[in-house]
Amino acid sequence: MDKYKVLIGLEMHCEISETNSKVFSSASNSYSEIANTNIRPIDMAFPGTLPVLNMEAVKKSLMASIILNCQQPEHIYFERKNYYYPDLPKGYQITQETKPAPIGIYGELKYECNGEEKIARINNIHLEEDAASTDHYPSFSTIDYNRAGVPLLELVTYPDFHSADEAVSFLETMRSIYQYANISEADSKKGQIRCDVNVSIMDIDKDETLEENWGTKVEIKNVNSFGGVRDAINYEIKRQIELKEDNMYDDMEQQTRRWDEESATTIYMRSKVDAIDYKYFVEPNIPKYKLEKSLIEEVRSLIPKLASERKDTYINEYGLSNYDATILVKEKSISDYFEDTIKAGAEPKLASNWITSIILGHLNKNSLEITDLYVTPTMLKDLIDLVNTNTISSKQAKEVLYESLESNKTPTDIVKEKGMKQIGGEDEILKVVLEVLEEHPESINQYKSGRNNIVDFLVGQVMKKTRGQANPAMTMNLFIKEIEKR
Amino acid sequence: MKYMNKSIEELHELLVNKEVTSKELIEESIELSKKVQGECNAFVTILEDAKEQEVTDNLLSGIPYGIKDNYSTKGILSTGSSNTLKDYVPFFTATAIKNLEKANAVAVNKTVLDEFGMGGTGTTGHTGTVLNPWDKTRMCAGSSSGSACAVASGVYPYATGSDTGDSIRKPAAYCGIVGYKPTYGMISRYGLFAFASSLDHCGVLTRSVKDAAIVTDNMKGIDKNDMTTWDSSNINLYKSLTGNVKGKKLCYIKEICNLENYPNRSEELNNHLVNFFNVIEKVKELGIEVEEVSIDKTLLNAIPSTYVVISCAEATSNMSNLTGIVFGPREDANNYIDMIKNYRTKGFSSLIKRRFVIGSYVLQSQNKDRYFHNAQRVRRLLVDEWNKLFESYDGVILPVGSGPALKLDNSSNNLDKETQLLEEHLQVGNYGGFPSITIPDGFVSNLPVGINITGKCYDDENVLNIAYAIESTMEYKNQIAKEVNNG
Amino acid sequence: MKKFTEEMVIDYADKLLIGLTDDEVKMVLDEFEIIDKNIDIINTISDIEKVEPMTHCLDDFKYSLREDIAEESIDIDDLLSNCKETANREVKVPKVVE
Repeated sequence: MDKYKVLIGLEMHCEISETNSKVFSSASNSYSEIANTNIRPIDMAFPGTLPVLNMEAVKKSLMASIILNCQQPEHIYFERKNYYYPDLPKGYQITQETKPAPIGIYGELKYECNGEEKIARINNIHLEEDAASTDHYPSFSTIDYNRAGVPLLELVTYPDFHSADEAVSFLETMRSIYQYANISEADSKKGQIRCDVNVSIMDIDKDETLEENWGTKVEIKNVNSFGGVRDAINYEIKRQIELKEDNMYDDMEQQTRRWDEESATTIYMRSKVDAIDYKYFVEPNIPKYKLEKSLIEEVRSLIPKLASERKDTYINEYGLSNYDATILVKEKSISDYFEDTIKAGAEPKLASNWITSIILGHLNKNSLEITDLYVTPTMLKDLIDLVNTNTISSKQAKEVLYESLESNKTPTDIVKEKGMKQIGGEDEILKVVLEVLEEHPESINQYKSGRNNIVDFLVGQVMKKTRGQANPAMTMNLFIKEIEKR
Repeated sequence: MKYMNKSIEELHELLVNKEVTSKELIEESIELSKKVQGECNAFVTILEDAKEQEVTDNLLSGIPYGIKDNYSTKGILSTGSSNTLKDYVPFFTATAIKNLEKANAVAVNKTVLDEFGMGGTGTTGHTGTVLNPWDKTRMCAGSSSGSACAVASGVYPYATGSDTGDSIRKPAAYCGIVGYKPTYGMISRYGLFAFASSLDHCGVLTRSVKDAAIVTDNMKGIDKNDMTTWDSSNINLYKSLTGNVKGKKLCYIKEICNLENYPNRSEELNNHLVNFFNVIEKVKELGIEVEEVSIDKTLLNAIPSTYVVISCAEATSNMSNLTGIVFGPREDANNYIDMIKNYRTKGFSSLIKRRFVIGSYVLQSQNKDRYFHNAQRVRRLLVDEWNKLFESYDGVILPVGSGPALKLDNSSNNLDKETQLLEEHLQVGNYGGFPSITIPDGFVSNLPVGINITGKCYDDENVLNIAYAIESTMEYKNQIAKEVNNG
Repeated sequence: MKKFTEEMVIDYADKLLIGLTDDEVKMVLDEFEIIDKNIDIINTISDIEKVEPMTHCLDDFKYSLREDIAEESIDIDDLLSNCKETANREVKVPKVVE
């Protein structure tokens, strides 16, 4: 491994899920389990149908282009990519090629990998339409056209990644951007993200800025999860190094392979020589669209706070640790939950503690999404209030929260139902403290001889007697005062 | 023939005065359809159960018409005259036809075309050749062959057409009627089976300029289903026909229409061009200035190959949806590739298949610049030349074709090289999306010939008004085909 | 070397999923020759390569993009009414092997 440098380039396809309608079709852009329920005539390419470009899909892709620091073209064009496949009803995909320029070219994006900041260069990002999906049965296949025409963003990077870690960190950053910018749910479980990866190796002492030093590019098609990307890259690196060591690398032709999840290997598909000629030409039914500066500026002003900016706010304004802030922004839905809790009036640090310590654990344990939770940000805020006003102890609150998550009752209702309240008055607690001291007179001397932790034992006894309703901090203070009096 | 030889205005008046009913008109039109089908083979489908419509203020209400069979019509067989769609019954109607439905117009048949509009002979439709009603040994030209034949035969006052190269304007000339394609995007193409999208236009075939104006007023309009349409609500073609053309200016291109370009000209060509210049004299008498202009011959000679390259390339892509998977007579096979291949091999005529191969060749990455992009470049140069003319002139006036309808027995697409420019120059109207109208301007060998006026984009009112004035100087308005026997 | 060969024509046709008869192949070859000669004429036009290809009919067309409003799906019976083989609301095809 030390002898070689790895160059990895990515093509990341992400469906734009956050528009109402498809990109060139006015059918609903939504996920459906029932086949052929989101169809307008063009989605099945009935004769005489024409594409009509969705403004919102243009804006979303423009936003991605701006976030990736790309250059935007003067006019938007689309091109036809012609080939035959059963999932492609028109016999061509409407997409954007590099000439005329697509919605974004020559950008770059900073991302973090294992705590280090890196930069990846973007060759281009373009807007296109997704294909239909096919289901396979033993003796035939079927076609569902729901996905046909769903807007798709394809992002093409330069081969700037040197490890699977870097490639996956970049993809995670991109997914976060798509989610935070309200472009896509970017959910690979729904098939919204698909990647092609190209991998080559070169001698480590050579200059990677010179293209002639690069190795032979192997493209791996259709990797549908980030885990798959990692495994495919690592497998391919190993395979190519073995070829090198066996002096067979130079015979390897530029080729396309596919990732086979079952066998965890890449499988040869075709050589570069057999590459399909897609006969691209400009789509005549979509007139070129002048991209006004004002539109670009409008879209720029609409870019929401992305994960990194939110994280800065959490650390600098809310005083959270880098660790907690990182956890909170990892998924937009969690960060949104956190912010909604604060908006409801909760103190940020407390909200963060509750979410990172209890709620996320609950989600992980039960494989849930935060949006599935019964407990809303407002309920969480109410619970935090109950603790702040000393109505219940934080220990009680934890129990309430767990119960609420399980039973779908609001925390406030649970507290009311169980008649829970914290014994908050000093006089009430003092009574119990004195009782306990009487039962354990030896503890006074033990404390005075330096065994300070005996207090924990005493507090525990109070808790037992009050079934957890005493305020522990107050109880401890009372013990110390009382012992020192004697 | 009782009514169907009349103009739209006349029919409307009869209907309003209750001298005839919509039902009677439809019955007559269907009867005539059957007769013309027997004689000329003009229709794919005759809609025998066509329902009468209420007569309203709209001039088209209650009046029968024909639809070229490449317009999608809900619940009605729509074949594009191709075996690939010989059983296709759409569930939606083309916007232009919907607009006519809103006007209470009554469709009585679907007319034959050259398969998907590719071809100019009327011989490649899957139901057979369309014969010229003036002389059954001759072609109607195409691709709107059935529409031209039916309107000329007096089946109804108008039929829709489509025009990618000259598919409305050439058959109109061969059949002695009016053929008009308005500016690109004035009539929605939604529901028109695509041939070459950047050249395809919807339009109409009628027996008078006024009828063309009335029908187009009703077909046109911006359409949310066609991004290339534009708002033409401020254009009223019918009302703009004043006949006042004093001070207008037209030009003709000498490289195309002067006799000396054709030293070996046939008698028919000679008479056609002589007739053209006689008509020019009449045009001048209207107070229109007509001047001769010149355009680089090399550029003009590039018109036909530019057309072949662009139209074949777009067509091969446009017709990739024809696989037999979702619609069309599917073929059996063990795998989808053979299934599609069997369907396409069987379904398409030889001409189309050859054009697909050409279209595919010119789009290959190693050929694209030399063929496809160069053709697109020449397209721009030609459009620029015409637009330059439109800076000084209201329109270009030129003869259509090299004479009357060609004989069917030598209708091959390999036309005489010398007259190719005369045959193909109307394609420039499609390159630039220009409004372009053909009207009958005389007879050669007892057969009708036509003249064309083409103007600048969005200037349809002016172009039609000029055509209207010129039409009034001649006696061919509203003529019905009379079979002639030239022996 | 000949610029156009029968093999080429057959290969192109094959990629378009159409079969050609021998006569059709010959006709295509003849048509290629004619087009090629005409393209040679185009190439004599000076500075042709500097002209921007005209990709659309109306070059200076100004328009608004479609508003993002979803329209109701077409009824499944309509969608499949012309399809010869269906299964569970879907279009059935011979087994697709990747």
